[in-house]
Amino acid sequence: MEPLIHVRDLCKDYRLTDRREGVRGGLLDLLSPRRRDLRAVDRVSFDIQPGEMVGYIGANGAGKSTTIKMLTGILTPSSGEVTVGGMVPWRQRQQYTRHIGVVFGQRTQLWWDLAVVESFRLLKKIYEVDDATYDRQMKLLDDLLDIGKLLGQPVRKLSLGQRMRCDLAAALLHRPRVLFLDEPTIGLDVVAKENIRGFLRGVQEREGVTVILTTHDLGDIEQLCRRVIIIDQGRVHFDGELSELRRRVGQTVRLSVDLRDPAASADLAAVTVGLPVNWDDETGLRHVARFNRAEVRAADVIRLVVNDRPVQDLHLAEQPIEEVVREIYRQAAANNTDSADDTGTGAAK
Amino acid sequence: MSDGATATARLAPWRRSPVASLGLYGHFIRLAFLKFLAYRLRYYTGVVSYTIFVAGHYYLYLALYAGRAAEGLGATVGGLTVREMITYVAISWIGRSLYFNNISRDLARMVTEGEIAMHLIKPFHLQSVMMAEAVGEAGFRLIMFTIPIMLVVVPVFHVGAPAGAAALLWTLVSFTLSLVIYSQLSFLVGCLAFAMKNIQGVLRAQMVGMDFLTGVIVPFTFFPAWFQSAVNWLPFQCISYVPVMIYLGKRTGPALVDGILLQVAWAVGLTIAARLVWRYATRRVTVQGG
Ligand SMILES: Nc1ncnc2c1ncn2[C@@H]1O[C@H](COP(=O)(O)OP(=O)(O)OP(=O)(O)O)[C@@H](O)[C@H]1O
Ligand SMILES: [Mg+2]
Repeated sequence: MEPLIHVRDLCKDYRLTDRREGVRGGLLDLLSPRRRDLRAVDRVSFDIQPGEMVGYIGANGAGKSTTIKMLTGILTPSSGEVTVGGMVPWRQRQQYTRHIGVVFGQRTQLWWDLAVVESFRLLKKIYEVDDATYDRQMKLLDDLLDIGKLLGQPVRKLSLGQRMRCDLAAALLHRPRVLFLDEPTIGLDVVAKENIRGFLRGVQEREGVTVILTTHDLGDIEQLCRRVIIIDQGRVHFDGELSELRRRVGQTVRLSVDLRDPAASADLAAVTVGLPVNWDDETGLRHVARFNRAEVRAADVIRLVVNDRPVQDLHLAEQPIEEVVREIYRQAAANNTDSADDTGTGAAK
Repeated sequence: MSDGATATARLAPWRRSPVASLGLYGHFIRLAFLKFLAYRLRYYTGVVSYTIFVAGHYYLYLALYAGRAAEGLGATVGGLTVREMITYVAISWIGRSLYFNNISRDLARMVTEGEIAMHLIKPFHLQSVMMAEAVGEAGFRLIMFTIPIMLVVVPVFHVGAPAGAAALLWTLVSFTLSLVIYSQLSFLVGCLAFAMKNIQGVLRAQMVGMDFLTGVIVPFTFFPAWFQSAVNWLPFQCISYVPVMIYLGKRTGPALVDGILLQVAWAVGLTIAARLVWRYATRRVTVQGG
């Protein structure tokens, strides 16, 4: 299938001016400013199919927002190409933005002094939403995001969570084909996050909208995205399915064992001797073993332990996604300092 | 999904029709009008300060003309009698109370604070939106400023009547064009924020410079001839001097037509220039924050 979003060798350099100190420095800055270029996005390429929901993650300053700004037509790239549905965002800004929805968690796109409903009425005109669609969308968005009670209030009086719900509704009012979300759950409490995730999942399933989402909360990714793209210092270090990501880092699993009688971790290590299993250094009833699924079968470990001593309970879990991603960041950082273009294949353990 | 979402990976071409544009920008006019109305309390003092400006000029020119008369230097300065001079000043300030706005400051703030991004992701042109808002604001100013100021200033300072019904009508047309010229010029100044780290100085210079160059603070006729002919090539005289001269009946017949045409030319020229500058700026600019 033809991709909806097509990105090739996308680069963005920011021009920075380093300031000198003091009065003398200030004068020197005027005469000969010290400039240098910072490459915020570095040869990024990916394709996204219609209907995909992709997580775009990376540490602070990795270049996520910069990429989103180029995809939404706010910034012009330094080089490289982007087409979304055949349009070049920064060239065909007016017609392009008609088809997309954008939420920047850090700031609102609603009109600060207007009541929320006034902003929506204005958006209706801006996006040329017909009356029937408007009524239907408003009803739907109210059902899902519970914004009915907020409509009469000016945006500046809303709490962060309330504002985010209104911003999401605003981004979806005109039923965009593509949705760009830059940290849509930033600063929200657990319940609000959960609601927004549920909402996004629903919208994606029902409307088939294509979504790119950046976040620092990997819960968002786990619950919403099958595919993730990880960038670090402007470069793509991973692009694939979440399960593939786990495999790549090494499928570490975590077996926790609750014993009947207290023991030292060395005792348990003795039980599994010969197998590449690491026991966390603990004493008492609760013990944790970590091993790689590719090397050791969980069933073998469990059998050895159960045969050796009375066991109260067992729990087998995959490595949390946070750890997986941390591992990728670590590999990315190592690659960045070592050499140039490897994407970090060696899933060293 | 009415747009046939998943079927095709193409976005449909789209263009806003002229009628829809009128509806949209009309909506912006209305919203701006209502917004200013909601904050009207902040503006009540404006009537007082405009009156004080006119009063200051009134006494200044009375004294000036009286002094000249005492020295036997004739009853006109720069071709204007004392009555005309006072009318000039009063109508200038009354006009200014209508066309004045803060587009440059607002645009500069949006650029430096990165709020501009939120406008770039919407299918409209910010220049048109800001022009529409300026019209809405002018509507508010007309009722809350211009008319009250007229009601105070005209009787108190014996401001002369317009040179005729036609002159009055053309003055109104002319001041409407002033609004466009002033706004587009202001938009251009605001665009400087794309290129400059700190634009506060420019904004302050604009505030004073505009009033000076438009002839609001000192009537054009006071300037030396070389200055007047230099200023002739700039848009500023079209903001205040042209409409006031029409009001005074100093521009009639072909001169009136020339004046209006010159205004139209500047309005169109500046609108196009602002659009080009905007396009250039938004394509090469970096947006702050986020
Ligand atoms: N307007 C700007 N001018 C100069 N440098 C910038 C600008 N915006 C971003 N940068 C730099 O570009 C790099 C990438 O920034 P970007 O905002 O894209 O990161 P991010 O991945 O969104 O980070 P975060 O998770 O903190 O939001 C950073 O090093 C940042 O300092
Ligand atoms: Mg960011």
